[in-house]
Amino acid sequence: MAFACIFVPDFPVQAVIRRDPDLRNKPVAVLKGAPPLTKVFAANQAARALGVEMGMTKLQAEACGALEWRWRSPSQEATAQAALLDCAWTISPRAEEGQKESDDELPGNVILDIAGCEKLFGSPEKIANDLRRLAAEVGLEANIGIAANPEAAICAARGFTGVTLIPSGREAVCLGALPLSSLGIPSELLETLDRWGIHSCAELAALPEIAVIERLGQEGQRWHRLSRGTDSRPIIPKESPAQFEECMELDFPVDLLEPLLFVLNRLLDQLCLRLRMHVLATSEVKVSLTLQPDDLRDKQPLLHIRTLRLPMPVSQSKVLLKLLQLDLQVHPPNAPVISVNLSAIPARSRTRQLGLFLPLSPEPEALEITLARLQNTVGEGRVGSPALLDSHKTHAFQQNRFVLSEASIKSLSSQRLTKAALRIYRPPLAADVQLQEKHPVSISCGKVRKPILAFAGPTKTTGEWWSETPWAREEWDVLVPALHSKVRSDAPAKEAEQALYRIYKDLHSKQWFVEGIYD
Amino acid sequence: MYVELHSCSAFSFLEGASLPEELAEAAANSGMPAIALLDRDGVYGSPRFHSAAKKCGINAHIGAEISISDLGDQAGFPSWMPNKLPPRPVRLSLLVKDRMGYQNLCRLITCYKLREKEKGTGSATLQEVAEHSRGLVCLTGGDEGILASSLAHGGYEQARQKIQKLARLFGKRNVYLELQRHFDPLEEQRNQAAVRIADSLNLPFLATNGVRYAQSKDREILDVFTCIRNHCQLGAAGRLLEKNDERHLRSPQEMTELFSDLPQAIANTEQLSDRLEYTLADLGYEFPRYPLPLGETMDSFLRKRTLEGVQQRYGLKNDEQLFAKATKQVEKELQLIEKLKLAGYFLIVWDIVRFCRQQGILVQGRGSAANSSVCYSLGITAVDPVGMDLLFERFLSEERGEWPDIDLDLPSGDQREKVIQYVYQRYGHLGAAMTANVITYRGRSASREVGKALGFDPETLDRLSSLVGQFEWRGPEDNWQSYFQHAGFDLSHLLIRKYLQLCNRIQDLPRHLGQHSGGMVVCQGQLDSVVPLEPATMPGRVVVQWDKDDCSDMGIVKVDLLGLGMMAVLEDCLELIPKHYGKPIDLAQLPADDPFVYETLRQADTVGMFQVESRAQMSSLPRNAPVKFYDLVVQVAIIRPGPIVGKMMNPYMRRRQGKEPVHYAHPSLEPILKRTLGVPLFQEQLLRMAMAAASFTGGEAEELRRAMGFKRSEDRMRQIEIKLRHGMERNGIDAQTQEEIITQITSFARYGFPESHAASFALIAYSSAYLKCHYLAAFTAALLNNQPMGFYSPATIVKDAQRHGLRVRPIDVLQSDWLCTIERTTNKNGDEVPCLRIGLRYVRGLRQKAAEAMVLRAKSEKPFSDISDLVQRVPELQKSELVSLSEIGALNSLGKAVHRRTALWQVERAVRSAGPLLNSVPDESDASPLQQMTNEERLVADFRGSGLTAGPHPMAYCRNTLASMNIKRACDLMYIADGEYTRVAGCVIARQRPGTAKGFVFLSLEDETGIANVIIHPDLYEKYRLIINREKFLRVEGVLQNQDSVISIKASRVLPVAITAADTESHDFH
Repeated sequence: MAFACIFVPDFPVQAVIRRDPDLRNKPVAVLKGAPPLTKVFAANQAARALGVEMGMTKLQAEACGALEWRWRSPSQEATAQAALLDCAWTISPRAEEGQKESDDELPGNVILDIAGCEKLFGSPEKIANDLRRLAAEVGLEANIGIAANPEAAICAARGFTGVTLIPSGREAVCLGALPLSSLGIPSELLETLDRWGIHSCAELAALPEIAVIERLGQEGQRWHRLSRGTDSRPIIPKESPAQFEECMELDFPVDLLEPLLFVLNRLLDQLCLRLRMHVLATSEVKVSLTLQPDDLRDKQPLLHIRTLRLPMPVSQSKVLLKLLQLDLQVHPPNAPVISVNLSAIPARSRTRQLGLFLPLSPEPEALEITLARLQNTVGEGRVGSPALLDSHKTHAFQQNRFVLSEASIKSLSSQRLTKAALRIYRPPLAADVQLQEKHPVSISCGKVRKPILAFAGPTKTTGEWWSETPWAREEWDVLVPALHSKVRSDAPAKEAEQALYRIYKDLHSKQWFVEGIYD
Repeated sequence: MYVELHSCSAFSFLEGASLPEELAEAAANSGMPAIALLDRDGVYGSPRFHSAAKKCGINAHIGAEISISDLGDQAGFPSWMPNKLPPRPVRLSLLVKDRMGYQNLCRLITCYKLREKEKGTGSATLQEVAEHSRGLVCLTGGDEGILASSLAHGGYEQARQKIQKLARLFGKRNVYLELQRHFDPLEEQRNQAAVRIADSLNLPFLATNGVRYAQSKDREILDVFTCIRNHCQLGAAGRLLEKNDERHLRSPQEMTELFSDLPQAIANTEQLSDRLEYTLADLGYEFPRYPLPLGETMDSFLRKRTLEGVQQRYGLKNDEQLFAKATKQVEKELQLIEKLKLAGYFLIVWDIVRFCRQQGILVQGRGSAANSSVCYSLGITAVDPVGMDLLFERFLSEERGEWPDIDLDLPSGDQREKVIQYVYQRYGHLGAAMTANVITYRGRSASREVGKALGFDPETLDRLSSLVGQFEWRGPEDNWQSYFQHAGFDLSHLLIRKYLQLCNRIQDLPRHLGQHSGGMVVCQGQLDSVVPLEPATMPGRVVVQWDKDDCSDMGIVKVDLLGLGMMAVLEDCLELIPKHYGKPIDLAQLPADDPFVYETLRQADTVGMFQVESRAQMSSLPRNAPVKFYDLVVQVAIIRPGPIVGKMMNPYMRRRQGKEPVHYAHPSLEPILKRTLGVPLFQEQLLRMAMAAASFTGGEAEELRRAMGFKRSEDRMRQIEIKLRHGMERNGIDAQTQEEIITQITSFARYGFPESHAASFALIAYSSAYLKCHYLAAFTAALLNNQPMGFYSPATIVKDAQRHGLRVRPIDVLQSDWLCTIERTTNKNGDEVPCLRIGLRYVRGLRQKAAEAMVLRAKSEKPFSDISDLVQRVPELQKSELVSLSEIGALNSLGKAVHRRTALWQVERAVRSAGPLLNSVPDESDASPLQQMTNEERLVADFRGSGLTAGPHPMAYCRNTLASMNIKRACDLMYIADGEYTRVAGCVIARQRPGTAKGFVFLSLEDETGIANVIIHPDLYEKYRLIINREKFLRVEGVLQNQDSVISIKASRVLPVAITAADTESHDFH
């Protein structure tokens, strides 16, 4: 016997329960999709017993009875999957992540080669029980199958609850009672076998192999062997994680940034050193701060994670430290930190030959720090390159990440010059506009009231009537004696100075605003 | 005064959001004297627009937006603005000035529509526009127009040149620069350019609002339509959607205010409106003249043909009195036809019927045409109106002022197509066309398409669609709100509420144009100058842009060439019976009043028979107990909404059974109602009642029927009622009797059935009953070969035939043809009798071409020796087809001891090449290791592979168990006393919830002995809704009702019962 499989039934639900153990014995449904399109993504046995089915809407699921529901969390599932791998790696270095049933889901199973592990960990039965215990410790209730080949081990773990050991040579007998669907046979082939009256592994196993190959080809042979538990294949061990990690358990909780930076500095030095030894840099650094929970008996770790995604690979620990410092200043942990985990995604070091005649651009590292500083000042999501959205909504745009590239310089130079520039007030200035025969005649903004000398408009736009946030506005361009001096906004405007403003009325709030001034 | 000269309706198919009627009404309400409709590439909505405008008392100007291929694409957004606007050709907005202009517009549209390869993609060239420009006025359009496009793509100068070109093409007085104001600065720039161009070229300009919907709230519908058209969701549609909701119909005051800086733009609309003289009242339609021999007029020719017919039809009957009466009636009708100049119409229908006879195609006129002795004499109809004393005025009267309507029933399928093609060939492709069928949004389509636009996923939409009630009866739960709740939607959510509203709001708006099943219009000269023509999806067919009601409203004569499945069955029987029974058969000479036929009808043993097979018909047949042909005429007519709603059915039945005395509201009605025991059942009787009681003329009586018909108008009804009362007053009928007569007339007129129509259908019903009773094998084969048709599924038809002693053999590749055939077999007495072989057409997924190749090779060469031989000799067969054939046992005859699983086993081997190395190695595994199918597996395979089984009924396998549960068989029910609590179980073969049954649901449960009828109370239905609608086999418990031999179970409990997993089929009536 050389292979073990750890299989977690109802994996998405278990991944949730792992974070919330109180749910363990309750009917739980995991939901997915933004309201109102929320649907049941997964449910545990207790929920299914109440009549919950995949694809039901939340309303329908709730009608089934007292049900706990949680949102699906891919990150929790990923952590659970990683935890499962950790369990396997505890026993054997050769562990394969099981096959996914769909792109959207994680496999929820791991196969490991346990040949030779007896000497270290004891009999296969003990190993199986250890694996089950380990899985339970990371919060997952798993089935364990042990067999002489990986496929039989998978079938045993998927098909039977608890620990199943299949003695070598007894695979066909042990797996015989399983329905064919537990083998994971594709639906088309399953249909053919159904027509043949073959429903269980034993029935498929009983067919002559050559005849099966003649009819179903190599694929058929594979499933035939699988049904007999004789299909063997080498497992593809998962390589150790493709990221570099450093972590430190702190002796005492740290609640100030400075001592934390000291720890980070040490870890970053180590991390960068290791990266440099591989002639690598990092394009992403994740800081995972485990926080001290309010209730110390709570075993569930409380994490504060910050990720720095860099536009170019960096290997200088000082730059990374500065960026982390700026980030943690804005996003400090809300509890004392008891452990720190730093992980870095490796990337090739940046090599670039600067053009002789290109204008000097700022050092990317320095630019990144500057952008981070700016973000600290103006707020998150307010720094970057604006890009127009396909919408009638005025000024509908999104902030893309600011990337300095030659291409953008070129496109900038080839753009047509605009005829008039509108300087937008952000936020717009609240105003009061007096109308006569539906036309604006005067405007009050702040303490200033001015007559409107000329106007153009209105422009009306309305949209997103189907959403919670419909918008509707009416815009006018108005010529008024300048509200402020055009040169310095705090200086009073000269008597004769006139300015062209854009004003608008939010048709939902009925409020007028001065949106901007034309150059 | 402002006139809106550029509006589009929902007939611009997904580019407009209001019906033409809504636009006309809104225009009238705002005080506009006229309004113009310019739908995209057609005049689809113009008849409805014309009628609505007439009703509102305003002028309806006609026009269209014409796509032009060589004027470039419509203006889009600047390149730096992200958008998904697809390129679309510029459109010219054309308004019709005079009749010549209308004809030119129709011809222009036809010209490029007939060229289009994909629906809605055709566009004209400028050259074609030039050829058809007379009588048309051109506007430069809004966003879709030439001015916007030229300004966006080439600037002011190019725009000016293009407008100059249009001015040369249409003439200076006929091109107007169009100004629109939707509060958009880009549009304002265009307006300024338009005014400059108008000044520089000395052209007029005018204001329009480029209307796309009647009210501003309808912008939401337009946005949803835009998403449907562009296959995207609202959230991702961006600039495809409307910028604001300003494209509604503005009042003249609003427009005057909006264009207060350009008053001329408003004044010019009225001026142009005055110049647009044309309305659809002046359509210029003329029915084609029948080609005549020299020296003949149409009237003289028709007279000759009719009198010949009189000799043939009545001369042979040796009844002088009848002959004289017929001659007199024919003379009367001919005089009226002559007076109304309708001879050509009769001759053209006669010509079609003559063609059918020459080609051996069965044809029979239906509807009110059967009231005409001219139609009977010409061979158009088969019922003798003189012999049956039918009322001619129901068909044609001087007062009606509209064309008569002749519908011809033809065998469905190829034969009908042959006749349609004959009409095309006879009148030319531009002289004849099918009428359109406007497909509108209904429950399911609305929920699906709106849901998609709002971003719901397909599974959710499927679930919702399956809940949308399709039954005729709408219970309190059958509303959108309830469907949404059942589908698990949270109605408190805004998006769901919007979804719900929109589903309601888009009901009945046009989605696209289809083709009517049989309505054809023909025209003297060119039909394309009366209404634009389009290619139909079916090759070789052309369709007009109007539906049959619009054609009728516009005074265009149509001939309905309707495909009737039963006609095809009868036609097939005419071929099968002489071949397999050795007896000739002539439908016109069937023995009248055959006792066996009437006995069968009285027992309601009518599965497969025309018109009398439905559940409701079966329930009334034992009570009506027909013994002669006229009883059958009544039977056909009585199960209709008219008699049921008018509460005529029960009185008739009671009188028929002698349970209540025959009573007449007034002695003058006795001759009219005598045949129907004092109960009015037919439209003709209502007409005659009005004629007798109130001294109405035939035409006035017909006017009364129409006033109370479907399109009833309160005003008109009131006027007619007053007239009726006056008439009765004059005739000395007392007030109470008047009331009784009026109640009878008003409650019945809406749904009544013409006696002539009932008689025509009864003829076919009798023929079908006769053939079923005497030639069961041929009738069943023909019925199965013409599916889908009728009330029952093929599986039920087969089971019914088996119960009547017909041996049915399963599909066999060595014996079956594509169609079901008749073979010989020996019965218990050793006599050779016909039996039925199911045809290969019932193998699901088997292509006709492959099946025919297989049949040809099996019959012309030598039979297949085994499955490998079949696979090698019929390479056309695909693996899936061979698998289907194996699964249903059709390959069992290929070799010894071959069962279905052996065949499946061998097919998998035979279709998979072993490769060159192993080709010569014999297959050692022919002996299948697979188990034979069990009875249950065979049933599942039969229903999955062919939808029916030639073996025992699924219920037969469980009979012992069912009997132990005290569940009765259908055939046992007749021995159970009325009122006894009974249990039955069976396969659900039909579910009905008729609109006239107050929410009651009727189920038909079939077992191996027959059909049990179940009645479900609305409350019980709501309780077991899911079980009743979804389960294939049901157990029903309740009190048995046996009233006048009509047996049914009044359900008090409904349970699912596990009989088989076979996918049996129920015919649910909606």
